[in-house]
Amino acid sequence: MVTKPETDQPDNWERQLKKGWLELAILASLRDESLYGLEILRRLEEGTDLVVAEGTVYPILSRLKAEGLVETKWVEGEAGHPRKYYRLTSAGRSRAAAMARYASGFLGSISRIIAPLLAKGEK
Amino acid sequence: MSQSDVLQKRIDSYLAELRRCLGELPPEEVHDILQEIRGHILERAEASGDLTEERLVAILKALGRPEQIAPLYQVDSVVAKARVSLSPRLVMRGIQRWSSVSAWGFVLFVLGVVGYATGFSLMLSAVAKIFSPDKIGAWIHGGSFSIGTTTDPAARDVLGWWLVPVGLAVGVLVVFGTTRLLRWTLRFARIRRPTGQSVVA
Repeated sequence: MVTKPETDQPDNWERQLKKGWLELAILASLRDESLYGLEILRRLEEGTDLVVAEGTVYPILSRLKAEGLVETKWVEGEAGHPRKYYRLTSAGRSRAAAMARYASGFLGSISRIIAPLLAKGEK
Repeated sequence: MSQSDVLQKRIDSYLAELRRCLGELPPEEVHDILQEIRGHILERAEASGDLTEERLVAILKALGRPEQIAPLYQVDSVVAKARVSLSPRLVMRGIQRWSSVSAWGFVLFVLGVVGYATGFSLMLSAVAKIFSPDKIGAWIHGGSFSIGTTTDPAARDVLGWWLVPVGLAVGVLVVFGTTRLLRWTLRFARIRRPTGQSVVA
């Protein structure tokens, strides 16, 4: 994947950090069923504060599709407008599992490292 | 103008601005994106019951400004440049970027190398014929055909001086054709900029 770290700004760290987690969270939300964009958003909003601007979720979904991790289907429903449903492909499923394993190990080591910062007395 | 007209107009102008910012993407992709975002706005609006202008403004604000969202859909800038370039160097750079993420990109990269090598060596042979007419030719020897130099004394030069104009013309055509073909295939390369880097919420 092409990444251009030169666009990173120091004040952007929170967004950068959220970006990767957001991708994992989106893949995770699709584990058991296919969902359309707003449903995915609602799930993310229920349990997390990962979503900065709602509009950023759609380009991420579009990129996941370009990478073959999800597939899409337009469904004409009772909504009165068509909805674009997203579903994990088998590549997406294994990517999600790999990301989850990595994230879990990563979180473990990070919590140990930042524990002193969270200790009483740090401001 | 009624209240609902005002709201409709706001939605339309948001989508029109998004369409403008999406500019360089293929039309069918733009259509898909607009349809999806439109669905998002309508469904958020329905969920809020009585839709007021403040409510709609809040929905659009939560979505983000079109000029913030649109760049996240844009393809990688190297690929974007290659799509409109006539320079073999730029086109090959775009294909190379594509080949780093896709097997199709790799196949086309190989095709590009073969195409450009063929085209340029034809042109080179045509020019070399002028300076070294005895050594350079379009040879038939032992049932096979080759252009350039030959070590086979029995080889027969079938084009003679014609190699100069024919080699140049066919060479240019092959290079140009390769460029057009590769550029066309880049339409299908979906390589994004890393998502999220330029969004200010």
